[in-house]
Amino acid sequence: MTKHLLKLIWNKKRRHGLVIAEILVSFLVLFGLFSLVLYNGQNYRQPLGFRYQNTWALNLNSGSDTAALIGKVNQIVGKIRSYPEVMAASLTESNTPFSMNTSNRTMEYEGVEIVSDVFFTDFDYPKVLDINILQGRWFQKSDLTSTYRPVVLNQEAALRLFGAENPLGKVLGSGENPNRVVGVIGNFKSRGEYTPLEPAAFELGNPQEHRFSACLIQVKPGVTAEFEARMMKDLGAMAKGWNLELSYLANQRKSKNQIATVPALIFAVICGFLLLNVALGLFGVLNLNINKRRDEIGLRRALGASATGITRQFVAEMWLLTAIGVAIGLIFAVQFPILHIFDLPTSVYTAALFLALASIYALVTVCALYPSSQAAKIQPATALHEE
Amino acid sequence: MLKNYIKIAWKVLLRRPFYTFITLFGITFTLTILMVIASFVDHLIGNHYPEVYRDRSVYISRVKQQDSLRQSTRISPLTFQFLNQYAASLKSADKVGIVNMFNQANAYSNGQRIKLGVKYANPEFWEVARFDFLEGKPFNEAHIRNRDNVVVISDKLRGQYFGGNGPATGKTIEIDNERFRVIGVVKGVPSTRPMTSGDAYFPYTVSKSNYEKQGYIGSFVVLATAKTRAGRKAIEEEYAEIIRRIPKPLEDDGMRVYHMESEALPYLESWLSNFVEEDGVPKFYSALFLLALVILLLPTINLVNLNISRIVERSSEISIRKAFGAPSSTILWQFVVENMFIALVGGVIALAFTLVVLTMINQSGWIPNAVLVINFPVFLVSILLCLLFGFISGVYPAWRMSRMPVADALRAG
Repeated sequence: MTKHLLKLIWNKKRRHGLVIAEILVSFLVLFGLFSLVLYNGQNYRQPLGFRYQNTWALNLNSGSDTAALIGKVNQIVGKIRSYPEVMAASLTESNTPFSMNTSNRTMEYEGVEIVSDVFFTDFDYPKVLDINILQGRWFQKSDLTSTYRPVVLNQEAALRLFGAENPLGKVLGSGENPNRVVGVIGNFKSRGEYTPLEPAAFELGNPQEHRFSACLIQVKPGVTAEFEARMMKDLGAMAKGWNLELSYLANQRKSKNQIATVPALIFAVICGFLLLNVALGLFGVLNLNINKRRDEIGLRRALGASATGITRQFVAEMWLLTAIGVAIGLIFAVQFPILHIFDLPTSVYTAALFLALASIYALVTVCALYPSSQAAKIQPATALHEE
Repeated sequence: MLKNYIKIAWKVLLRRPFYTFITLFGITFTLTILMVIASFVDHLIGNHYPEVYRDRSVYISRVKQQDSLRQSTRISPLTFQFLNQYAASLKSADKVGIVNMFNQANAYSNGQRIKLGVKYANPEFWEVARFDFLEGKPFNEAHIRNRDNVVVISDKLRGQYFGGNGPATGKTIEIDNERFRVIGVVKGVPSTRPMTSGDAYFPYTVSKSNYEKQGYIGSFVVLATAKTRAGRKAIEEEYAEIIRRIPKPLEDDGMRVYHMESEALPYLESWLSNFVEEDGVPKFYSALFLLALVILLLPTINLVNLNISRIVERSSEISIRKAFGAPSSTILWQFVVENMFIALVGGVIALAFTLVVLTMINQSGWIPNAVLVINFPVFLVSILLCLLFGFISGVYPAWRMSRMPVADALRAG
């Protein structure tokens, strides 16, 4: 049966070539769309690892002021902590979560090198962001005087550096300032939910020496803009000539996530229209083709073929065409995981391939069913009479 | 003859409404997407409010500093002091505006926080960027001399801070705990124009602008206009000469700098230099071309496919014409014209759809203050796209039709 159908297709190869090309391109478009959606979905399922609700980021930009900056920064955070509306506050650098700023460094352990985000923080960071410590501990006062500089890693960084080994107590790098791992936290996705897990490392900045340039503040739920205005006014009076920029983590998260969702949405809408277009086109072409093959159908019917047999023949023909198109498409599609064209995991590509396959077959079947059932209704007498 | 072809095309369109619908749907949707993209690209890089002189302007947006081995690199906007001394005195430039990038401030009104984009500019900025003043006037040299605390605000800020649309000129506004007198209100600028978009425009002498910083690494950029389009080249060269003449290595902002680059560039180059290091413009246009190709590919195959399947309907007509001596080229020409006509019909519908989509985008506030329009260049591109689309999707089926053997065709008819 299949062999016979293949012969039928081969006899009309010119015309079928275009249908195959159309299916091939649609398959690739679907493959791209599903890869993107699945990749984002897979990332989204991994939690952020910290809390952003009711959390503010205050950037402390001293501008042209250069006098006693460290003292002023400490005064500012002291003032912030003194408000009853503030639950906790922590000094950090300008690479606060969801901000545009990043800071990273190469970390090395026994020949394994990774590039990791680095966050300079103080003792209260996990309290402000509600970070869960899985192993070990966060920084404490005694760390300020220890010989090794303490570092807290997130799970991803620990996994990439040490594999299955226990990260606690391991010493990173060499030279004057080696780091010792004192704790491990869970996820820390500072670029938003749709980004993959990235390594992150936290280091302790000494409040008396380190020049912090931002402050994370957790406020009580239901705090109003009236408090915010009062706080900013107080702080503005303490830091004359500084630029104090306050942003809500919740808003920043939203705009970070939009960087991932908006292009995906636009892509999906365009793909939707393209496929609708293809579906209509295939439907039209099949309809016309079947009209052209009335005599063939009539003859088969006269020789005893059942109506379902006719329907099955046309649907099977379409499936075969689709198989050819998809087979060619696969040659292109498998290049993506093999050549690592985009940095997506192979599992995403595999799942996308199957989904694309299933949807292209669904699409083709839907387009083929109606014209084929019309074909099955052809009466042998009329068809043969026309001939 | 042309009129005849179009008449036939019209009749064919009306004969099988379902197929006409499929054809027009494909054309309309494809062209709509392409036109919306064209309009968006034009919005990003064309001459639009308030940067209406973009085609004869150059932008100095960054300086790149590297150490001796080019291992550590930093890229940043520049200081006001440097730009004011060297860029403002460019002889080949007509007007030179200096303004900062990306600064924010807060204002509070009725218990609400208003987040503001703030701009610190020199008076010539107002001549390079032609803002619409809804009321009041821009600041001038006298305000700079007296170090006045004055501000020009956007219509959006006027609404948020003062409420309603009443005049705000002369009133006082408190921004970041400092009080300023409003001297003008301008129509807002979309955030896609980062050099001119803002809510509050101050003279550069106000306290927080940091304009006294020495060295190179700062927060300011330059928009300079030339008298003519061709005049841009002279500014680019003059500025390049200034940068070349700076003695290196130099000490700047805690770094020993051996290599320093800064260029005056037309807007598109300047904007693209944020994303790609080299050859930004050719890369940008090839990416656009590729995108258009991908979007055009499927509908074109689809349409070619459909057109070929519909050959049969027309075979009797073709064979009779051929039997009476019409050459293949005439038949080919007829079907190309027919397809281009259909594409144009689709194009007209697409134009209407594009207007609807653009209005929706404009009203959605997706890009605040954005006014996406179909202007002349976009319209021209759209028409060209229509004709191209009709041509591509028509030429292959027409070629197949024109080569149909007369005897076969007559029999099939």
